[in-house]
Amino acid sequence: MGVKVILPFVAVLLAVTYLSGSTPEGALVRFANALLTSFTLFSFILLLTLFVYGDARKRPVAPLFGMALSVGLGAALTVFFLSQGELLMEDNGSVRAQALSNIIRFGTTAVGFGLAVMVVGGTLFASLMSGPRRTIHVEEE
Amino acid sequence: MEEATQAFVFFWLAGLFVLSGAMLGLFSKVAMQRKAGLVMAAAGLLSLMATPWTLSFSPSSAFGHLLGSLAGPGVLLGVGFYLITFSGHVPVGQLSPADRKTGVVMVLAGVLWLEAMHWWVLTPTYPGEVNRYWLIFWPTMLLGVLACGAGAAALVGLVGEDRQQEQRLMLLITVFSGLLLLLGAALDGPNVAHEQFANEVILAAADLFGAVVGAAIAVLVFALVLAVYESQQPAPNRLAPPTTEQLAQASKVIASNITGGEESE
Repeated sequence: MGVKVILPFVAVLLAVTYLSGSTPEGALVRFANALLTSFTLFSFILLLTLFVYGDARKRPVAPLFGMALSVGLGAALTVFFLSQGELLMEDNGSVRAQALSNIIRFGTTAVGFGLAVMVVGGTLFASLMSGPRRTIHVEEE
Repeated sequence: MEEATQAFVFFWLAGLFVLSGAMLGLFSKVAMQRKAGLVMAAAGLLSLMATPWTLSFSPSSAFGHLLGSLAGPGVLLGVGFYLITFSGHVPVGQLSPADRKTGVVMVLAGVLWLEAMHWWVLTPTYPGEVNRYWLIFWPTMLLGVLACGAGAAALVGLVGEDRQQEQRLMLLITVFSGLLLLLGAALDGPNVAHEQFANEVILAAADLFGAVVGAAIAVLVFALVLAVYESQQPAPNRLAPPTTEQLAQASKVIASNITGGEESE
């Protein structure tokens, strides 16, 4: 199934590159920035979900500490790599500006992907619910 | 108020409100907390959308402008799909066929609106040039539809029975979004040149891959943290096996419940 998702994705990307004739500059930097930002923010979101998990587990501190460490590690790695000269810097003047820009861009990606999921999910459910009514046949032994 | 403080309150704090409010609203078991979470998320979202006025000096306000520009087509699509889905074969709360028509019109209007934002004069411009976050959003959404459509088509084919219509529909959406990407990379729009769009598509793909890999690593770490914590918990106390007297009592209760009653039909 993974191949069926990846294959059209890669095919369209190759066709876009071919049609435009442009070389994708900065894609690797963008990938690394997105990875670090996504890891840090998702760790933070999962840290928040632990408060719900804690309702059923006498509010343990150890998992909270573990995920807080994960958020800290993500933030520290981001700052470390952004501080290495031009390695992960884009059009921003400082590490802080680049980190904040990464977060906003991650938000934009999340909004875009969220709307895409809504379009695909909405179309699928609309089709499933509007087709002919089906009955489940149970075979008696 | 200083500019940095204003940016913190109206943008970053608002963003935190959206995130934590949505988490509370979705996952909390307490009704009051759920309501408070939804109010927090709505207030945060409104504050973000108002940044073109409250933080006009900051480049980050372009993100708020994008959110405001997407509110119209987003609401049309969301409400439209809701109306279509719930006017179908749902067991309770079925809507009327007229609602279904309204839903179809709303979805079409939403899709056309989004298309007009690239191919017509409705492109979000802020503050005088094309909003830079629109240039990230539009290719990301098209790539997202492409990937999700292909995934849904494969999934429906794998687990569904007699679902060829749905599979075809998902493939149609995949092809449609792929065509839009190729058209955008081949033809200039009124505000976005094809070279710029193509470059943004590649960068959006890098963004998506990076976000997916980062999220996967975070989920793995989360699973590891929980597994380690759970493995260190003491095993629950085991009850002693039932005595002969308890077994005899249980037999008596069971026997009294399975014999002597009326015959079932």
